[in-house]
Amino acid sequence: MVRARVLLVEDSALVVGALRLLLEESGYSVTSAATVREAIDAAERDAPDVMLLDLTLRNESGLDVLASLAAAHRAPRVTIALTGHDEPAVREQCLRAGCRDVLIKPIQPMELPTQIATWLSDPAA
Amino acid sequence: MAHPYAHKLPLEERLAALQEQNLQLARELSELRNQEALKTQFLSNISHDLRTPLTAVITHAEILRDGILGTVNERQRDSLSGIISGSRQLLNMVGEILTYARGAANQLTLTCSTFTIDALIEQVCAVNEPLIAKKGQTLAVDIEPGLPPLSADREQIAHVLANLLSNAIEFTPPGGRVWINASTGPLTERGSTILVEVGDTGIGIAVEHHELIFREFAQVDASASRSHHGTGLGLAIARKFVELHGGRIWVESTLGQGSRFYFTLPAGTPT
Repeated sequence: MVRARVLLVEDSALVVGALRLLLEESGYSVTSAATVREAIDAAERDAPDVMLLDLTLRNESGLDVLASLAAAHRAPRVTIALTGHDEPAVREQCLRAGCRDVLIKPIQPMELPTQIATWLSDPAA
Repeated sequence: MAHPYAHKLPLEERLAALQEQNLQLARELSELRNQEALKTQFLSNISHDLRTPLTAVITHAEILRDGILGTVNERQRDSLSGIISGSRQLLNMVGEILTYARGAANQLTLTCSTFTIDALIEQVCAVNEPLIAKKGQTLAVDIEPGLPPLSADREQIAHVLANLLSNAIEFTPPGGRVWINASTGPLTERGSTILVEVGDTGIGIAVEHHELIFREFAQVDASASRSHHGTGLGLAIARKFVELHGGRIWVESTLGQGSRFYFTLPAGTPT
């Protein structure tokens, strides 16, 4: 069975390091990107099944990644937004942009491998 | 003979001096306000930035503890659990500072949903049950049947309840009693309310400290050798959250005879 591909779009190398270890050990193939440009390139190159998208990337908006990929019909099957702002307006904006779900930071990383499997097994994906 | 207007000169001079002083004070006030805003912004940024590496520390420790990278023995697991609980405590404190900074900058908003107080009490009790059992305390819950649902920010009210319950557990000796009651509150001009009580048979709070404990950064024992640690923000944040909903929070307690914390929330949709 081909391993599901996860793209981590996150500008903290520390967080990427921890999540990569966890997801790889859980059987996923993981790539990461720290900027909007890197994320678009990685998504076009690797065609990830799942993109975990931090909304705040230094001075850029993570949603720009999704908008650009969606315009080129290259959006991953599932995109999950990660944000520190638990606000309905942010959530709505993410869902409108095509995110499947929004996780509020600090997230519960140990639940991620199972959550990803659930998102991927959802027929709506 | 003195000049007829001589007495006016000092008066005009004094007026001018006062005006100059007023300007100076206004400048200083504005400068202090700017510094206060900068400090709040700094607190907000630093606490936000502290959370990121802390989250990474916790994740790495959890990966090891759960045996994802290979089997760990019991003593190794205990040690890792120590890292995780210490880091979680730190993460909670950082979270409190962030909430405080957002509150000080008037950046706190309500995200309301409809829920019953029963469900929320059950959720908060479930999280604290292991700690209650560890301290050999008993926890009793009494909810008046038929209370109307709340339309409130569930996360904020859960935070208030969790804070009061964890204080009750912390400041009550082993074997003591802790309870949560919910009932119909007093009728206010804005309508009916729900009254929640979190009580304990613990060390209690002296009357002169009943207001102090709700102030930011205040702790009854602020000395370096104090036995209870924390940011001193928990109750200040609880008060902020309750007041954002249009409710009230207060304490009734006598030193050595336990404490009863109360808060009210408007039933139904906040206006």
